[in-house]
Amino acid sequence: MFRPVRNARAMLLAMAALFTAAIWGAQDKSGAPATPPASSQPVEYAGSQACQLCHEDIFNAFQKNPHQLVETSQKPGWGTRACESCHGPGAKHADSASATDIRNPGKLKPAEANKICLTCHLNQPTHVGRINSSHARNQVSCTACHSIHKNGPNGLVARKQADVNKLCAGCHADVWASFQRPYRHRLPEGAMSCVDCHNPHGSFLPRSIQTVRANEPGCFKCHGDKAGPFTYEHPPVRLEGCTACHQPHGSANPRMLTRQDVRLVCLECHSNLPTPKPTATLGTVPPATHDLRAPRFQNCNLCHQKVHGSYVSRDFLK
Amino acid sequence: MRTLLALILMVPALAQQPEQPAKPGDQAAAAPAKTEQKTESPAPAAANEWFTGSFDLGYRWVTDVRGNFQSYRSVVNLGEGPKLTGLDFTIQDPKKRLFDRLDARAYGWGGDPYNTAHVDARKLGIYDFSFDYRNIAYFNALPSFSNPLAPAGFDEQSFDTHRRNTSFSLDLRPGKLIVPYLAFDRNSGYGHGIDTWVQDSNDEFAVPTLLRDSTNNYRGGLRIECECLHVTLEVGGTTFKDDDQSTYNGTNSGDRTTPVLGQTLVLKSLQQAYGIRGTSIYSKVLATASPAPWLNLYGQFLYSEPKTTVNYTDSATGNFALLSSLLFYSAQQNLGTGAANQPHTSGNVGFELRPSRRVRIIESWMTDRSHDAASPVLAEQILLTPKTLGPNLVTASNFSDVINYNQQQTDLLMDLSSKVTLRGGYRYVWGDATVLAGQFSQSGAMASGQLKRNVGLAGLTVRPTQKLSVNLDYEGGASYHDYFLTSLYNYNKVRARARYQVGTALSLQANFALLNNQNPTAGVQYDFESRDNSLAVYWTPAGGKRISVMAEYDRSTLRSSINYLALFLSPAVSNYRDNAHTASAAIDIALPGYAGLTPKFTAGGSLFISSGSRPSSYYQPLMRFSLPLQKHVYWNTEWKYYGFGEQFYLYEGFRAHTFLTGLRVSR
Repeated sequence: MFRPVRNARAMLLAMAALFTAAIWGAQDKSGAPATPPASSQPVEYAGSQACQLCHEDIFNAFQKNPHQLVETSQKPGWGTRACESCHGPGAKHADSASATDIRNPGKLKPAEANKICLTCHLNQPTHVGRINSSHARNQVSCTACHSIHKNGPNGLVARKQADVNKLCAGCHADVWASFQRPYRHRLPEGAMSCVDCHNPHGSFLPRSIQTVRANEPGCFKCHGDKAGPFTYEHPPVRLEGCTACHQPHGSANPRMLTRQDVRLVCLECHSNLPTPKPTATLGTVPPATHDLRAPRFQNCNLCHQKVHGSYVSRDFLK
Repeated sequence: MRTLLALILMVPALAQQPEQPAKPGDQAAAAPAKTEQKTESPAPAAANEWFTGSFDLGYRWVTDVRGNFQSYRSVVNLGEGPKLTGLDFTIQDPKKRLFDRLDARAYGWGGDPYNTAHVDARKLGIYDFSFDYRNIAYFNALPSFSNPLAPAGFDEQSFDTHRRNTSFSLDLRPGKLIVPYLAFDRNSGYGHGIDTWVQDSNDEFAVPTLLRDSTNNYRGGLRIECECLHVTLEVGGTTFKDDDQSTYNGTNSGDRTTPVLGQTLVLKSLQQAYGIRGTSIYSKVLATASPAPWLNLYGQFLYSEPKTTVNYTDSATGNFALLSSLLFYSAQQNLGTGAANQPHTSGNVGFELRPSRRVRIIESWMTDRSHDAASPVLAEQILLTPKTLGPNLVTASNFSDVINYNQQQTDLLMDLSSKVTLRGGYRYVWGDATVLAGQFSQSGAMASGQLKRNVGLAGLTVRPTQKLSVNLDYEGGASYHDYFLTSLYNYNKVRARARYQVGTALSLQANFALLNNQNPTAGVQYDFESRDNSLAVYWTPAGGKRISVMAEYDRSTLRSSINYLALFLSPAVSNYRDNAHTASAAIDIALPGYAGLTPKFTAGGSLFISSGSRPSSYYQPLMRFSLPLQKHVYWNTEWKYYGFGEQFYLYEGFRAHTFLTGLRVSR
């Protein structure tokens, strides 16, 4: 049984241990400062043309990549040195042709590789939450999804719905399994993709859910008729979102409900008697006139059909 | 939309080929010159690459659907006929006139339930344009959602609609210091269904309904992108309308099978109409800054104020009862009006601090507040006979829902070595809500709740070699107040993911996820646990030239039990079980070729078998054969089977074969 007090103590202990570890990490002699120390010798760049001499296939592929802008634009300040904008100064590597003389972001720790990308991409609408995303916390680097040199079939990143889904399912195989259930959003059919609902770069909503109209959950992008505001709101829609009643990835239950019968979806919350007051407080009981033995009353939304919110009826009848 | 698709198809014809194709050697020859002209544009695309693309055109047959056709339409919904199953092309204009590059794709045209089209066009430093269209059929008519004893049949709560999404976005001067942008989104639904018209909780009558709603969203803004500071400013607005209607003429005895005080209730005519209109304005400010190499700051402020106004009317004749007054009457007219206003403010701020090379500290605060002020009025005029007025019932209220949510989170990430990263963190969630209680609330018109939750976070990432990575995540939460009986209360969440590259051809991946949630409060006794284990194998010997195999297996179990109040508020336990096996596989085999062309055979599909509260099975095997006729022309043939069965709801099962054959032409 989970005990809150013990759990809080355990968390305090864990925090203390982590803090100690952090101090240890900060005092580690081998730890370098946040930025590499400036070398006493001037850094020497070779220019992209020098890279092309040995890496022509990558160079040619790069010409079709949006990052080619780095090569031609003056704004990032890397004109004609696009390769070195990520790989660092390459003059020494050009002379020695040794892999140890050049930085390879693909072999860096994800956080360090991401830092290189975020030098330019810290903002932009989809990237603003990058710092906050679970992908960042879980050490998923930008290059796990983005092909910087355009060597893959999808260029910089997968764009087609089916390709996006395949990319995400590569790690989230358990989630993709949910989409093989009969009632699901239409991802296997290629009508939608994971990024229609989730922002892989992060969001201020849980599970990196996309937002629409500033701060509404992304579900309302397609289900605009459920967005309201209603004169009679159904609180779970606002407080817990659609997942209070639906399994959006897929379900064995029709309409992706969390339970096999509609009445159980409803009654598991609508069982709050005023006394003794349980810890949860929202969800009043149905009237005793509802004979739940009768099939007519077993499907609540037969009558309470505006269950997402009603403009007319307090009981969501119309 | 079809016109638009035709226009998209014509784009390649409008784009002109380069006058003089560049030779392959030209690019290399131009390279030294580029060294001197350092900002010169890249070499133009080779002549034979200015247009690349493909289209898939075919015909699909669907065998007679055995079993429940309505279920087939609710789950699969594929039809027969000629189909444009895929269209995909890229144009790179060598002269860079209207655009540098245009990418277009479209899928599922020709009566399929999911039509999509997408166009991206861009001109370097001038604009980025994007257009997206989706038309998704949304059909649902399942007997398990209707009253099984309904005299009219199993069609209640069914609908046959389409939801369409159209989006345009235009970024001007991409890559420059200031990037203005404009965007438009439209979401609409249209179709028909069967709803119920509810008469004072005595009886409900299934009536046909016309469903129409649309939301338009306009927005524009500026992105300011400096070296150390990025700001996005956006304003937008929406318009919304919902014009659902129901009309009925006839004799409808409704779902009630027993008389009320000796009289049979009946609906003879109904005109019902909703006229909902909504508007919203919103604004958005996002900012990130890097004032020092060891510090990143970010924040966003989001504000929206959606409003709706309500006009509702219904007029019904028949024989109805008002039990509270022991009254029978022959007609009623309802007139509803009202307004709702929901200012909604969200914000979050945070920073990432890197005190040393090994340590990162991420701190974030977030708040989300919405206040819904509503003033609905419903006037109900009862007519005892067509010419005799009965009581006039007016329901008017004025109330305000208040919802506040706050969250603070601290994360500490530490690289113990170059191969091990340790994570730990703490999240505190708190909030409060005051909402309108249900009509039969015994504790007043408004209900209020609180949310307080402490969450501990921990994780570990290990990459001992480039070929192996292991990721572990733990989240444990303890709540002191919660909104709903089924909310997360005292919970543990564990996730583990491992990936191993065995040689160059074989890759393995395993996932494990566990969520355990307990609410031991007397009268609740909520016990929830879900487990998910999956294993994926990818085998591509010799780069998949001859054969490639993908196989995924997932085993998930879910058990939930909670006390609830059942018949006449008697205590009962709701038990839910879902134990599922899911597998999907695909094997691609390159068959012996001829004249440099290689036929390809694919077999695979997916299966889902579950036991528990709603035992179901769903099989989708497929076989595909691709025969190259020329270098750029393929004859593709696909067979797919859909088999769906339910143990408790036998009448909802179906079986169907689909057979699609057609040509794929590519360039």
